[in-house]
Formats: sequence, C-alpha cells, structure tokens
Amino acid sequence: MEKLNKLTVQNAGPTIPVIPSVERRMFLRSFGIASATTLALLSSCAQDNLVAPSKSLSRSGARTGAAILPDGSIDLGSGDIGISNLAYTLDQLEVAFYMTAVEKASGLSEMDRKVLMELHDHEVVHREFFKALLGDNAIPMLDFDFSGVDFNQRNAVFDAAQQFEDVGVAAFNGAGPLIQDAEVLKIAGKMVSVEARHATLTRHMLGPRTYFSLGHELIDDKGLDLHLMPEQVLAKAQRFIKQKISAVNLPKM
Amino acid sequence: MNLFTILSDIEKVNAEASERFLFSRRKLLKTTSMAALATPAFFAATVNKAFAADADVVEVLNFALTLEYLEAEFYKKGNMAANLIPQSDKQVFMKIAEHEKQHVEFLKSQLGDKAKPMPEFDFTANGMFPDPFTNYPVFLTLSQAFEDTGVRAYKGQAPKLKDDKAVLLAALKIHSVEARHAAEIRLIRQLRVWTSEQETGGVPAAVYKGENETHHHDGIDLMTLVDEHFYSMNGSAVELIVRESFDEPLTKEEVMAIAGPFIKSMMP
Repeated sequence: MEKLNKLTVQNAGPTIPVIPSVERRMFLRSFGIASATTLALLSSCAQDNLVAPSKSLSRSGARTGAAILPDGSIDLGSGDIGISNLAYTLDQLEVAFYMTAVEKASGLSEMDRKVLMELHDHEVVHREFFKALLGDNAIPMLDFDFSGVDFNQRNAVFDAAQQFEDVGVAAFNGAGPLIQDAEVLKIAGKMVSVEARHATLTRHMLGPRTYFSLGHELIDDKGLDLHLMPEQVLAKAQRFIKQKISAVNLPKM
Repeated sequence: MNLFTILSDIEKVNAEASERFLFSRRKLLKTTSMAALATPAFFAATVNKAFAADADVVEVLNFALTLEYLEAEFYKKGNMAANLIPQSDKQVFMKIAEHEKQHVEFLKSQLGDKAKPMPEFDFTANGMFPDPFTNYPVFLTLSQAFEDTGVRAYKGQAPKLKDDKAVLLAALKIHSVEARHAAEIRLIRQLRVWTSEQETGGVPAAVYKGENETHHHDGIDLMTLVDEHFYSMNGSAVELIVRESFDEPLTKEEVMAIAGPFIKSMMP
C-alpha cells in the first residue's frame, strides 16, 4: 500500500518509533490492561528516542512530524501532518467512545445499539485511513477518559455522541483552509459530510424532526455551520484524552 | 437549459481587475492572526469587505448560487403549498427553507454585482415528477435528491477555492449544513443516512454515481486496511461500511446534468 509521499516532508522532524499495535484492545474486555501497556511504551519512548520537534523546526523552517515531548505530551506535528493527526485524534476518540458506549451503556434499545455500532464502524474506517495516510508520522494510540459521561442514561450517551460529532464537523471545517495539499483537502471533504450525517443522526436520536436535529443552534444567521480552529478543537477534546496533546505547530490562517 | 452559457460568460470576467481584489483579500488574510480569524465577527467582516473577484471563485460561487436558488425556491413553494407537509415535519422544512434562503443571500453578498439572477425553475423536470407540491413522497424524494447533490457539488468545488481561504471556509460551512439537511431528510424517509449506489430512495441513479468508491487518496484500499477490525463480519457487510464512510464529490458537469432538467430558463 502506497503511503502519502506528499506528507513525507523533507527534513521532517523526529518521528514516533513504531509502537506495538494496541488496536485489538477494543475487543478486549479490560481497557485497563491495554491502557497501562500504552502508557509504559509512551514513557519509554519519551526517555529513549525522541527530542523536541522545535529543534528541527528552527533548523529547517519546514514542517515537522509528530513527536512525543520529554514531558510525555504529544505534539501533533505541523502542516498537513499536524492536521491529519488532529483528525486522527478525534477519530480515535470517537471509536473509543462508541465502543465504551456499546459495552457499558444500559437502557439502550436494539436500535440505539445498532446506531452506535454503525457510527463506531465508520469511525474505525476514518481512523484507519488517517493511520495509513500518516504512516510513520502518526501519533500513537491514545488513552481516553469518559468518566464524565453517564453511561446509565441513554440520552446522556447520545448527547455526548452528538457533541463529539459536532466538534468533528467544526474541526474539519476550520482545518479545511489550513490544508496545503489539494488531495488531503479532498479527503477531508469526503469525511466531513459523513461527520455531519453522524451529528444529525445522533441529534435525531434525541429529538427527531426538529430544529435541534438539524443542528440549528450551531448555524449562524447566514446559514453557515460552526467552525473551530485546531486549538479550539483541543480545548474541547482534551478533557477526554489522557495524554496531553499539543497543536502548537499546526498551521495558522 | 443554458446554464453552461452563463458559466462560460463568467470566464470572460476581466482578469486584471480580479487580480487586484484577490491581492487585497489575500493580504488581509496573511496579516491577520488565527485567533482573530476564529471569531465570527471577524469572519463576517472579512467576507463582507471584499466581493469575490477571482474569475474561478466567481464561477464557483455562481454555480453554488444556482443550486441554492433551486433549493430555496423549492422549499418556499413546498412550505406554501396547502396540505403538503405534515405537521410532524413542518419544523424541518421551515428551518431548511430558512438556511437555503440565507445561503442565497450570503452568496449574493459575496458576488456583488457579479451574482447571476435567479433562473426560472420547473420542479416537475418536464413532467418527470408531475406533482411535487401536492404529493409528499415526491416532494421528499426531490428534497433528498437536491440535498445530496448539493453536498456532492460543494465537495467537488472546494479544491478550486483553495487559494481563497475565506471563501473556502464559507463553502465548507455551507457544505456541512447541506449534509445535515440530507441526513434528516433520509431519516424522515427511513432510509440509511449514508450514501451508496444501493440506497437511492427512488432518486435518479446519477445522484449517487460513484458513491461506492472504496479506494481513496490515490489508491489507499480501505477494504484491506480495515479487514482485521471487522473480522467477525462478512465481506459485503464490510464493503457497505467502507462505502458509507466517505461521501464522494461530483463535478460541475455531473451536477448540472442532474439539476439541468429543473432549470427552465436563465433570466437575462
């Protein structure tokens, strides 16, 4: 499979060494074991192999790959790598959320469960796409904390889902103009409308055939949807992610 | 249908004047911090300040305006028709009509005096759909067709707006609203929310042509990539997931082949 050579930038900064896949953890009963393994790997990587990406940035003035900083936080990288890693972060979050919901939530109808699984499956495809696109520049698998979500309340589950999906839509919208490669822009366009369909479905599960299901409170008086710039996206997503994520090297308008 | 003439007329726009306007817009963007740009007030000010003047951008925006005119007029007529939309769905169509009208106004504000006037529409498409405003299932079918085509149309044009970040951002912000509309209409029709060539809901096949793509970005094969994650499913179930995970673009020509029969005449 051919990786994105356009994303493999000259003078790319340090990349994250290969971390053994924890993909299959979503099929494991215990999230705890997988998380501990990931954290141990992350900390050893940070000690042994990596330097801060700022060095290569100042040397080349060019874009740089993702990196794990000495304090264990994760830098998404710059340019299209950084934007793709931001999308990869959100897709990881959504996959983990839907899997947790399907496993933990109570009071779900068969239809509720079917909807959550479909959303989960799409997000797996999106996540795997970005993972392949990024290749060695992909950030590692992250660990999540959904303790703020009441999985005993069916509506709380769909409310959280709707918020994740709306952040996804706004994130892609805000990132679009920051993307350099036209091919990456095309791909982002192919996914953002699916995220918007997800957002509508999760809203529809709470209030079908209403202003709410159309996302009206996000849409301004010109009929334009919300957009969020990368730092704003992380401000909303960080509390669900155990590792500290940095978008400091992402492009600016 | 003479939309193509209109579009070729646009190509004759004075290129030199375009350059000047474009430069000022780009300069404005370059000298502005991201934080300021993220605020809605700034965004509104920027897009109002300079009319789109780059010939390519004007062409894209007028193409979008044509589709928005079509949608706005369609929903206006639908909302006005007695006994068409059941009470349960009135909120949806009032809100969609409002959005489409706002899109028309917004695009006109971007185009200034380059905005094309609204053409005359024939929502029966020369008799193909005889009763769109008295037969609710037909109205819903057309609504789905227009919204899903709209999503694909904006998606196809977005790369052409790459050099004008403010306009690209606005187009993306309309694009996702159209996708929200399309999804809610498909839910009302009890269809799958996601697009594929299989789930047309009676809409002409051209609207979903190419939606079964499973390779993206020059050959990344999603079927192979996700195989291990869906090992408990059979191949056709996995293929459906992969198809539905991505919406595909349409070219302007493909969109006009779909929308053309609904456009009776362009006013002078």
